[in-house]
Amino acid sequence: MTTDVEAIDAALQHRAERGRFPWWLVVMLAIIGWLGSLVFFDERFTDARTFILPGLVITIRATLFAFALAVVIGLVAGLGRISRFTPVRHLCITYVEFIRGVPILVLILMVAFVVIPPIFEAVGLANRLSFEMRAVLSLALIYGGYIAEVFRAGIESVPPGQAEAGRSLGLTQGKTMRYIVLPQAIRNVLPALGNDFISMLKDSSLLTLLGVGEITHKSRLYSGSSFKYPEAFLTITFLYLCMTLVLSLVVRAVSRRLDRG
Amino acid sequence: MNRIRLLAVLAALTLLAAACGDGDTGDTTATTTAPETTAAGGLADLGGRAVTVAVENAYTPFNYYDDAGNAVGWDYDAVGEICARVNCVPEFKEVGWDGMILAVSQSQFDMAADGITITDERKEVVDFSDGYIDLEIRLMTLVDESRFTTLDEFKNGAFVVGTQVATTNYDKAVEEYGADRIIAFDQFPLAVQALIAGDVDAVIIDDTAGVGYVGESADQTKLLEGSLQSDQLGFIFPKGSDLLAPFNAAIAAMKADGRLQEINDQWFS
Repeated sequence: MTTDVEAIDAALQHRAERGRFPWWLVVMLAIIGWLGSLVFFDERFTDARTFILPGLVITIRATLFAFALAVVIGLVAGLGRISRFTPVRHLCITYVEFIRGVPILVLILMVAFVVIPPIFEAVGLANRLSFEMRAVLSLALIYGGYIAEVFRAGIESVPPGQAEAGRSLGLTQGKTMRYIVLPQAIRNVLPALGNDFISMLKDSSLLTLLGVGEITHKSRLYSGSSFKYPEAFLTITFLYLCMTLVLSLVVRAVSRRLDRG
Repeated sequence: MNRIRLLAVLAALTLLAAACGDGDTGDTTATTTAPETTAAGGLADLGGRAVTVAVENAYTPFNYYDDAGNAVGWDYDAVGEICARVNCVPEFKEVGWDGMILAVSQSQFDMAADGITITDERKEVVDFSDGYIDLEIRLMTLVDESRFTTLDEFKNGAFVVGTQVATTNYDKAVEEYGADRIIAFDQFPLAVQALIAGDVDAVIIDDTAGVGYVGESADQTKLLEGSLQSDQLGFIFPKGSDLLAPFNAAIAAMKADGRLQEINDQWFS
């Protein structure tokens, strides 16, 4: 009898291990490999590749700037969101709810064409903010709202005993937040922040609306004049997949390490 | 209960779809029964058949929404007039510009009307009607523009030009000014808005459409003297479309009897 049980256990464990093997990753790598071989070795793709690749700099640059700004905005708004000071708290909630209630596409058009021109005119700056900067500001404002919620959840996930301990040691409220709560909160929010970064990288494709020359815009320009739609869109699919797959593996690895503690 | 309610909803939807479908089939049966004959004036008779026409509804004055919210423009009047002559029924479908030529080449629509410039590259994927309007590619600027007054001054300065993705205007701008001085927007209205807001210094545009935009914003914009390139506009059809010959005949007849000029005068002045 015991041998049967052991055999079943072994079989179940074997199956669990087989189920844990990342088959999806193998398939994804196969797809990416196939796309990559088209993009780099098929001569029908040469023109598309040379036209589109320079846009990668703008895609990455815009995403990095916008994300850095969004983290700052999100941290401030996230802290404000749990402030004891009622006007600040409600102001931050208003911001977050406003952002979350409007589609990203609409917000980008609105910030670029409706919000920024009058502001720049009012402060006397020539209305010459490049569309790339407007796009970065739009993305930062939008993701600032999302990231504020990430930080709020992160801070609330730190057990209240931690803050109480800090206070009872004689630390001020600010110092408790800075030295005790935030370091633990930031650790907790890293995976969520990583996922927001991936989302933002993909949403940077919406900047084509503003004529910003990132890879989606480049591929539309290329296909619009050449009618080579498969070449253009398979190329950017390949580029996006390469970037998002690497990032998502990093996020997985980080959250696994955090889980282990 | 839930399942029964779901079934009821499904049944209602099916009925609704059937009702809508009936309307459609009613139309087509009425239209396909008429035999192909030759109508008065030697034009073909398409027997009242429905023709799907892709338009953008964002390209003044060819097709756009007027202040009352109606889709209007040269394309609506011209295609309507052609269809009246060859006995077809236009069904206008709103489509984004940058996929429009591809969609027609794949026969998703019977034709497209969007002030489309006839080019050799495009002729490789679609059939063009005979040209119906001559156009010039020109620069649209602010009325009080003083930093440049000629095309050459614009070219030699560090000025930025706005245009629309996937247009002959974009291609011409690359040729004239280089890719770094161009901002290509999703639609021409955004480019015109960027000009008015001071984000770009000029918009490179076909004068046919340019006249329309200047008409809508005459106190703010004007067309700079001189032309960058001369072209013709045509309708596009899938390769080998049987609509091509009847449409060309109707266009020729409208040129001959002055009706085309009347429609032009209505929309381009």
